[in-house]
Amino acid sequence: MKWIVQFSLAVSFAVSASAASKKKTVPAPPPPPYAGAYQPQGVDEIGLWREDDERERKLADSPLLIRDESLNAYVRNVFCSTVGLDRCNSVRIYVVRVPVFNATMTANGTMSVYSGLLLRARTEAELAAVLGHEFGHFERRHLLERFKASRKSTDLLSWAAVLTSMSRSRQLYQSFDMLQFSVLGNYYRFGRNQEREADILGIGYLNAGTLLPQAASRVWRNLILEAEASAAARGLKKPDFDRISFFSSHPSRGERANYLYALAAPDALGRGEGAERYAEALAPWITSFLDDQIALNDFGASDFIIGRIAESGWTADLWRVRGDLYRRRGHQRDLMNAADFYSKAIKLNPNLAAAQRGLGLSLIKTGRKSEGISALEEYLQLKPNASDAAMIRLTISSIGEPK
Amino acid sequence: MKFVCRVWGVLLLGLANFSVAIAQERTAVKEGFELSANSGKRILLFRPAISVGAQSTGGMFEPNADWTDKARLNVEMALEKRQKSLGNGIIAPPEVFGEQKRLAEEYTKLFGAVAQAVVRYQFFVGNRLPTKKRDNKVGVFDWSLGPGVSDLPGAKDADFALFIYNKDAFGSTGRKLFQLVAALGPGIAVKSGEHAGYAGLVDLKTGELLWLNADAAMGGDVRDVEGAEKRVKQLLEEFPGSVPTKAKKP
Repeated sequence: MKWIVQFSLAVSFAVSASAASKKKTVPAPPPPPYAGAYQPQGVDEIGLWREDDERERKLADSPLLIRDESLNAYVRNVFCSTVGLDRCNSVRIYVVRVPVFNATMTANGTMSVYSGLLLRARTEAELAAVLGHEFGHFERRHLLERFKASRKSTDLLSWAAVLTSMSRSRQLYQSFDMLQFSVLGNYYRFGRNQEREADILGIGYLNAGTLLPQAASRVWRNLILEAEASAAARGLKKPDFDRISFFSSHPSRGERANYLYALAAPDALGRGEGAERYAEALAPWITSFLDDQIALNDFGASDFIIGRIAESGWTADLWRVRGDLYRRRGHQRDLMNAADFYSKAIKLNPNLAAAQRGLGLSLIKTGRKSEGISALEEYLQLKPNASDAAMIRLTISSIGEPK
Repeated sequence: MKFVCRVWGVLLLGLANFSVAIAQERTAVKEGFELSANSGKRILLFRPAISVGAQSTGGMFEPNADWTDKARLNVEMALEKRQKSLGNGIIAPPEVFGEQKRLAEEYTKLFGAVAQAVVRYQFFVGNRLPTKKRDNKVGVFDWSLGPGVSDLPGAKDADFALFIYNKDAFGSTGRKLFQLVAALGPGIAVKSGEHAGYAGLVDLKTGELLWLNADAAMGGDVRDVEGAEKRVKQLLEEFPGSVPTKAKKP
């Protein structure tokens, strides 16, 4: 009995998904006129905004925030030129240091942009695509609608549970099971449709703007490649990027990549992407964001990200981070590679203390003690007040006599 | 199969919401800490965390901005009145910016975490932190936020810091009707409304937690002045130095 329900649900999902992607072959329309300075209406919306205001107060004082003025100004600038000046004033952007691909929007217009997103985007257009999507949630009051949908669903299920338990008939119990599937499935599908709507709005802003709208699709294709690299490094099966599971909050990555490409205005293909501007604004941050990323212990994904950034040329920092990534995993074969990467970093920048440190530690562990010690001594000379200086000195003295 | 279990899990989570009826209240005072009435101590009151709303039929919290605003005003007024009657003065922290503001926010969060740990691991039997096993004796109450609290904005002009957390969810009409039907029909006990809160006093010199009161079911409607006074009286029950309240208890 239950598998029939599952099956029919799966079929209906598949049908609606493919129908959705077939329908949307025309480019997304430009955004509708915007009233500006929107104030919440009604007890639910005012209440939700007040809760968000309270949370935003906390977020504004959070140690997770990156407060650098120029980075914040840059992200805000990209956002404002994407959605337009009338829209952008209703949103406050907070750049948070979380090494995950994400950006969030609350009902009251608090947008959080994760550092993991800034690390993965390579051009201004890619960043603009995500920011536009988040603003789409705000413009359509999605969080209020979702709150109402969730309240309606829990109300319905509560009544159904109590009334069913009064009857004690087997048939009613079965109908209750069905009702649950239907209500929960509907609720999650509602959420996914909101995401699709925000995607359409987001690409609408891009179409009307000056950046390449096709970049939105590339964001998802790159995430797919990253997930494949991550799975491959673990020896896992390639994930299915078209599958939507029952509790999925978002449409599948494959579906999004497809319809976002179809929604992008074809005549905009010649537009620029702002890759240089993006690289320049992010240059002071990429290394520290990469350091956060490699701490996630996702070898395949991290190596993929480093490799993509290095497409525009390897720098000493990139070699150093790659060395750290391999040294962290720490098999003997990794240490050999790590030592090689550190040497390349040092060749490009002999004063890179972190590379000397990594090189020294990797060499010692692979048996090349004297070379390792001299690299560590180099490290101490470059950075005599390093927080781990005492520990490194102890390492040197416990291995052998310093030269 | 796994799929079906998950669905049941979701439903059970929802049901658990209204099957738990903890009507418990606990207070603890640090050993040796005494505050005689009318000692004229100055208490720094950090912005109370207050949220007031309704509870939907299914048990969801529906925030209400108007009620929250009223409650904040009423509770702050009632707190001042109550402390004055105990002989203590309430002072508000100075307006600060940047690093100082972040510090205050960090300590508010730290207090929240410590208070939760006290409630979860010391107040109610059955959950014990392995590192706190020895402290689980009557009369032992040893928790601290660390001496760094003395750097808090306004800490130099005060003796103690008072933190307040209060959450009210008034049962909606739908919820009350649902409660009635559930009780009369299948005989399921459904809780309508949630009125929980805790209050804690911290020594601003040492960071030690001096007193904590947690109550999962309080009376008094914080949306009006009298109700807020009753609520504050319950929040500050057995507050050090509040001997008169103690004596009145049956």
